[in-house]
Amino acid sequence: MRAAAPWLFAVIAIAVVLIVLLPLFRANAPLSAGPAGLAGQRAPVIDLHDDRGAPVSLDRYRGKVVVMNLWASWCPPCRAELPDLQRLWAADSARGLVVVGVDQGESAQRAQSFASSLGVRFPIWIDSEQAYGRAYAALGLPTTVIIDRRGVVARGFDGALTYAQMRTAVAPVLSSP
Amino acid sequence: MNAFALWAVALAAAVLVEAFVPDRAAYHAGWYSVALAALIVLLFLRTREVTRNADRVRRAALYAIAFGACVFGFAGIANGLLAPDPRTLVGAPGQQLALGDLGGTIAFPALDVAEPLVLLRLGRAPLSIGPRRYVGSFDLRTVRRTVVRVDAYDANGAHLTITQPAGSAFLSPVLLMRTTQRISGLDLPFDSFALPAAHRLVKVVLFTAQQVAAMRGIPGPAEPALLFAVDDETDQPLPHSIRFARSDEIVSDAGVRLRASVLDYPAVEVIAAPSLPALVVGAALMLVGLAMLLYSARTPSRS
Repeated sequence: MRAAAPWLFAVIAIAVVLIVLLPLFRANAPLSAGPAGLAGQRAPVIDLHDDRGAPVSLDRYRGKVVVMNLWASWCPPCRAELPDLQRLWAADSARGLVVVGVDQGESAQRAQSFASSLGVRFPIWIDSEQAYGRAYAALGLPTTVIIDRRGVVARGFDGALTYAQMRTAVAPVLSSP
Repeated sequence: MNAFALWAVALAAAVLVEAFVPDRAAYHAGWYSVALAALIVLLFLRTREVTRNADRVRRAALYAIAFGACVFGFAGIANGLLAPDPRTLVGAPGQQLALGDLGGTIAFPALDVAEPLVLLRLGRAPLSIGPRRYVGSFDLRTVRRTVVRVDAYDANGAHLTITQPAGSAFLSPVLLMRTTQRISGLDLPFDSFALPAAHRLVKVVLFTAQQVAAMRGIPGPAEPALLFAVDDETDQPLPHSIRFARSDEIVSDAGVRLRASVLDYPAVEVIAAPSLPALVVGAALMLVGLAMLLYSARTPSRS
């Protein structure tokens, strides 16, 4: 017992020091900023109204792939991107793709007239509180988020996308169950 | 024996104080860690003396007590030297801010609902923080701060997008007022936002009700008030663009109409504390040692 005691105490000492110090050196989860950092998380749902005043919710689109685009009429890249989103919606809506444009902070009238002027036919939601902008960690406008059929964020993009980039991003999400 | 007990209890108490009252800067000062280390050394030296002629059970008991106290001491030193200083995490409604120390994010509630702050971690259930919660080696406390919610309209009354290029949330109409500006000897909460559609930058200074009362020379409570200064998009001041407004009052300023509401909103204080598992291990060792001491005192010595 006398010979074993120093070894026993040394082992206990090392174990205790590890217990004390390990929590302080734990690897912190890498959390990337912006909408891309939301990938894999359940998509936040905030109830809004569309540009005609009807209540709308993301929950309604469970089972479909949702491409949600945050935009505003004063934003030049948004103006450039909206026609491509319309093209994407027209091409893939039959495969279960939904495109939703969420206007950030503007009146329904302004959003509606702006979208109409660009020939946009997909749903336009009015987020006067800019709540989606914060919930989806928008770093600027436009911001695009792809939500899979289970309601989980698949991809997030900061800035305007080309039509080819949209197709590339959406294809694997559309083909998964 | 008395000195042994004194050093052991002092060491454990000095670290337990850190756990129960963690928001003191002293724990992160070098002298506190040096004091804990000195107590460990004194306890070690005293343990060698008191165990020299003790029987086997009593020796093991004293080692267990000493070791338990040292665990407390190491937990305190680790907290003092390695853990971050207390800080306050301030977020916008609906925002999620990373809390790297706990490997998760803090979700801030919407402005108009009385929901608590929530800690979100991958693979774990969301954890409501409430007024105070101990998580890992951190004490999380909800504190209330004053924020300003702004609305802006153009000359036709159409709502305008508010952006905060320099804020923690780009698309937020809630100003967190985290900086101050010195005006007339007062350090006043200050923030700013942009109205891209109107090509305007707006600076906002907050006055408390007491400051408003003092300025007017009116005794008793008054309402909080705000000072708006509207610049063009190149940050150049516009003529006649400074307006004073009460909370919730709509004012016209440099071609835009502004309304600001002064509100209370939660933030979270993140305060490091000694590792809870280590404290449990230390306390368990000390209790086992005490039990063995009592046992050895009741049984005749055989060594």
